[in-house]
Amino acid sequence: MTKAENFEAASGLKRRSVLKGGAALGLAGVAGSGLVGRALAAEPHPLAGQKIEMNILGIAGWGPSSLGVAMSPLFAEYVKAKYDYDVTFQFQEAPFADLFQKAATSLATKSQEFNIIISDSQWLGALAQPGWILNLNEIIKANPNLQLEWYSKAVVDTYMTYPDGSDQIWGLPQEGDVEALFVRKDWLEDPAERAAFEAKHGKPMPQTWEDFAELTMDEFELLADFFTRPDKQVWGFAQQYSRVYDFATCAFNNFLWSRGGRTWDATTGQVEGILNTPENAASLAEYKRWLKYCPPGATNIGIGEGVDVFVQGKVFSEIQWAAVGPAMIPEELKGKVLVVPPPKHGTGADAKRIMSMGGQPWVVNAFNDDAHMRVAIDFMNWWYLPETALEFAKRGGNPCDKATLSRPDFDDINPWNRTFKYMLEDGRSQDFWHDPKYSEMLAIQQEGYSAFVTDQATDPQAVMDYIACAQQQILLDSGTSKIEPSAMCAGTSL
Amino acid sequence: MSPGMRPQGRGRLMDNPRTRVFILLAPVVTFFVVFNTIPTLWLLGLSFYNHSLTSGMPPEFIGFKNFVAIFNGKNSIWFDLSRTFTFVICGVTFQTLLGAALGFLFWGSKNMPGRRIALTLLFAPMVLTPVATGTFFRFIYDPTFGVLNYIARDGFGMAPIDFLGNPKIAFWAVLAVDSWMWTPFMTLMTLAALGSVPKAELEAAEIDRVPYLRRLSLVIWHHGKFIMMLGILLRTIDSFKTLDLIIPMTKGGPGQSTRLVALELNKQSFESFNMGWSSAYAVLLLLISIAMTSVFIYVLNLRRRKEAEE
Repeated sequence: MTKAENFEAASGLKRRSVLKGGAALGLAGVAGSGLVGRALAAEPHPLAGQKIEMNILGIAGWGPSSLGVAMSPLFAEYVKAKYDYDVTFQFQEAPFADLFQKAATSLATKSQEFNIIISDSQWLGALAQPGWILNLNEIIKANPNLQLEWYSKAVVDTYMTYPDGSDQIWGLPQEGDVEALFVRKDWLEDPAERAAFEAKHGKPMPQTWEDFAELTMDEFELLADFFTRPDKQVWGFAQQYSRVYDFATCAFNNFLWSRGGRTWDATTGQVEGILNTPENAASLAEYKRWLKYCPPGATNIGIGEGVDVFVQGKVFSEIQWAAVGPAMIPEELKGKVLVVPPPKHGTGADAKRIMSMGGQPWVVNAFNDDAHMRVAIDFMNWWYLPETALEFAKRGGNPCDKATLSRPDFDDINPWNRTFKYMLEDGRSQDFWHDPKYSEMLAIQQEGYSAFVTDQATDPQAVMDYIACAQQQILLDSGTSKIEPSAMCAGTSL
Repeated sequence: MSPGMRPQGRGRLMDNPRTRVFILLAPVVTFFVVFNTIPTLWLLGLSFYNHSLTSGMPPEFIGFKNFVAIFNGKNSIWFDLSRTFTFVICGVTFQTLLGAALGFLFWGSKNMPGRRIALTLLFAPMVLTPVATGTFFRFIYDPTFGVLNYIARDGFGMAPIDFLGNPKIAFWAVLAVDSWMWTPFMTLMTLAALGSVPKAELEAAEIDRVPYLRRLSLVIWHHGKFIMMLGILLRTIDSFKTLDLIIPMTKGGPGQSTRLVALELNKQSFESFNMGWSSAYAVLLLLISIAMTSVFIYVLNLRRRKEAEE
């Protein structure tokens, strides 16, 4: 007898009814009082008296992921008190670049080795298309706790939806994340530095969050240049250029989108002619130009290396994920760092910023047996309770629901919260493709961007052509697009 | 066994030389078939399909299309192959020469104090996990806070060297780490080869005042070549599939400058889950490995064949 059959025999419930039951209990959880609430609360939980072991797969070395894991004992206490069952958690981890591989190889065998997975947002298509993760539409419909008002459409588009623009929900936000500019406030406030900057440029250095919110890249460049002092082993700026995973892509997309570019047409799958425009090639050159304000070896800077150079006082400023705020602002830097929106690109009224979205959704293994599926749904219901979301924020996490983010005290919980909320608003941050072929497409452009920033390839237009052609071919081969690469593509290479 | 009793069942089968061979070979043959032959045949079959695990679609038979795509240079694989051959030839040559030199040094200094400790230290890199070694060296090479640049900068006043970020240097920086790890292996093989040389023949050559180079070719190489060639063969195969050292160091970058075949195969199969195309690629690499092994075995047997002909 399988685990699922065991569960059904023990509880006398079929899988479908278990999910419906989960919905009913979810309703009971929020009803709290009233006839419906009392009636449903009286119904015993099908797992009452049982012991369940859950497995979560998360991202190694990623603070927000471990926060979700660290908070799981609270869930165990919650369900023990509320539903009278015991749950324990086992955790497995893999670094960003390897987590999809670990998850996919397990899910491809229809294993329930990992009951809940902290996925990266781009993986939704690759996990959903083969049916490895649970479609959450029905679950959300049946669980009022999960029918939250999210802070922005960007949250839904990034962490929940596949295919892009559809109403199919496959994930729920575990951790929201946006790009932020971390700046050394103590350096800005140094009277000698302020006087020197004013003497050099005839205007004061920006000091406040509001000053930086209006700053353009041209104005910010003065600051980056001012603090670049290789003789003193200090540089003005850092951002990600690494070839690993999506590091260069996310950093470059900040330039591409903010300067008016696009990466593809999600409806037709057209890449060639959209990605490889002269404007986007110019954006790539501009992205590379900023290397002159970065420390040596910046072409290998990823998330971890970025944290290192900032925390060690090697750089004045850095565009980094808000989610690594706790690592970027350790005890010794508390009160010395300002977290602000990254500068706008362009000038005057046309200046704008559209940055990359980070963050990860929870996804649920579609092969979970009924008992584990039920616990997973209970877990999701608990995760989005207002008190859980608040606790998550207090521990350094970034929730995405409007209620928590709209709390008057939210901005003061963490130094990056105000910027997180600001950048999470629609039009300021966006994610790239959720296509099942994301990994192949990503690998191509990581190679291309890395080749360009390290001078292995010197013509930005040729690099963009190479990437666009290769990606167009991938999408054509996979059937996502019917558009064939043009004749020009035959001669492209890195 | 009392006289007149005949062995029964398994005992009788074991007494028969013909059946004994099969019985003794059965476990290893079963293991080989289950874990080698069947997967290889499966791999071969899959290479004729368009099959992506993440597409949610069943495998589609496409004949030789994957192989045609490979020969047309899909995913720049000819560049990867050329880079890999450079890596293998340069790496194995350097490791063999240096390893052999160190082997002779230790062979000729058997009474040197601390020889055992020196040998133990020499072999240490070989037993380290390549992933850990790659990670260590990524930090050692780091231009901002790596120890190598610290010495170069503070000790010699040099400008920082971006070992892994400069496409002109990265390949050689990775090769240097590979050599650091695997030169001891060739030292070990050299010591084993030298140990197989009969002392009597060496002494006879010495008494006859045979010049050292002739002694090397007529006595030492004659007896030690099999072990040395085996070492070179093992290193060549191992070097050809280098993966776990490069992933933590450069992930194939900058650009494609350290992208070797194993890295691309790993990416296509276990990151992009293109099982059909990856299988075709793996078949090609398998054929190359078999060809390389055959060349080594041919060279190894050349003299034996000549002797047999004479």
